Amino acid sequence: MKLRNMVAAAVLSASAVGSAQAVTLDIEFTNLTKGQSFTPRLLVAHDGSEDLFQVGETATRGLAWLAEAGVIDDFQDPASAGSNFQAELGGTAPSAPNALVQNPTNNWQRFGGLLPPSQTRTYVFDAGDFEFFTMASMLIPTNDAFVGLDSIRVPTEPGTYTFLLNAYDAGTELNDELGTGPDQTLVEAGTGLPLGGYAVPGVAGAPTSIVPVPTTGTGVAAQAINGEVIDGTDGPVHIHRNVLGDTDDAGGASDLDSRVHRWLNPVARLVITVPAQ
Amino acid sequence: MKTLKMSAVALATSLIVACGGGGGGGNNAVAPGVDGGAEAPDVGAADATYTVSVVNLTQSQPMSPPAIVMHQSGFNAFIDGEPASFGIEVMAEGGSPVDLLVEAQAAPEHIVSVPASDVALVPPLAISEDETLVVPSENVGDLRLTLLTMMIDTNDAFTGTNAVDISNMTVGEQRIFNQPTWDAGTEDNLETADTMPGPAAQQAGGLAEGFNPARDDIQPVVHFHQGVVTSANANDPSREGLSTSILTEIDRWDNPASRIVVTRTQ
Repeated sequence: MKLRNMVAAAVLSASAVGSAQAVTLDIEFTNLTKGQSFTPRLLVAHDGSEDLFQVGETATRGLAWLAEAGVIDDFQDPASAGSNFQAELGGTAPSAPNALVQNPTNNWQRFGGLLPPSQTRTYVFDAGDFEFFTMASMLIPTNDAFVGLDSIRVPTEPGTYTFLLNAYDAGTELNDELGTGPDQTLVEAGTGLPLGGYAVPGVAGAPTSIVPVPTTGTGVAAQAINGEVIDGTDGPVHIHRNVLGDTDDAGGASDLDSRVHRWLNPVARLVITVPAQ
Repeated sequence: MKTLKMSAVALATSLIVACGGGGGGGNNAVAPGVDGGAEAPDVGAADATYTVSVVNLTQSQPMSPPAIVMHQSGFNAFIDGEPASFGIEVMAEGGSPVDLLVEAQAAPEHIVSVPASDVALVPPLAISEDETLVVPSENVGDLRLTLLTMMIDTNDAFTGTNAVDISNMTVGEQRIFNQPTWDAGTEDNLETADTMPGPAAQQAGGLAEGFNPARDDIQPVVHFHQGVVTSANANDPSREGLSTSILTEIDRWDNPASRIVVTRTQ
């Protein structure tokens, strides 16, 4: 369903039931994977004018920053200024890291640091009086996988709402599954840039992995040739086909571990609790 | 003997029924730790009757005889992110529901469960027999189903339902749950013939060990399963597969792996 249609429907229903009310949500977020960690979570409440991601459509630069580097705002990486989600959501700078940002058409907030496998975090999020809720977080170590929930209606009735979330591929980077390592032996073809972050090949977050990510692979969906990797895209946004990994730390195609880093959907659970008034 | 009439207070009788059934490698130690004591009623007019079946959605993973428990809210056989109980470990590594049933029956929220002697292995691509459970009417408004079964050509994978809500079903109503797979987190996923209990390991000539009290998983809590790696592409240049695995690509699955069908019949 196109978001515009949802907005139209939302306006109709809102006018039917009267004005919306401000809602504070208790959020519980769990990493269900065996061996993937999550970067800081972006939570957004919006009026329907913001579409962080849409399956079947090309990722925005903000999504590419989140899915390739785990970056949401300028605090995390000044180099992202102007093209990250902070810029897309209205440009207002958070007053402090992890602070709530209130814009005319949305509230957004970055929560926490690394979320390791099988761990749960809880947050209190002020959804204002906005109709929709969206969230996203990168899976590391991957090239550009992220877990997301796209524009659900903000629940207002007191109760507990559980969502199981799938992993998506932002489509902005080929899934070469190449580690980056401290030696930075591989570089992007043409630019000579080290691998691993925004707009370059290679997996991000390798040092966070629960098992070592070597730098010996030949590449999965893109190959390392003479120490160089050609970047490419495999978009638009789609359900991720999972990482392949391998079992050889001294060689093989991938630098991920097929016994650890793979997943089957769902990869996360989101529980929203609307407290009784 | 696949239809069993029981109620919350009828477990002592259920033992007798189970023994009397006799078939299918019956295990008489079905419901230790529970001494119902009260009379076992037949299905009264005020009781609700449910049938439960399991659809094995996988290509080649046999599913062990399921532990089937109806209970009130507040009981969870496991919580992902926390270490597995002994009963979950025994079920997920060896395929026996017995210890899991003991744990469930000891919980104050327990209402009724199907004895281990009354359930059978569910082959790949197959639908199980219906199991019938009778619940006192006063429990209909707060009713949960826990049904758990091991995928036996794995180290410790299991699927089923974790206290899904089947409250307030009307007569004739059916609820269907398509379910994922969990890793008990109690055994390293070596995928060898010595460490998995199912037919794949048996045919490969290994020890085919089931339950082992050692806990050696890299992620030692219940978590969603990442799938089996198998030996596919283990020795080509990609090194993607696991060369010590005796599983092949056909042993893989995707979620959902099981479908649980609950019907209220009376």
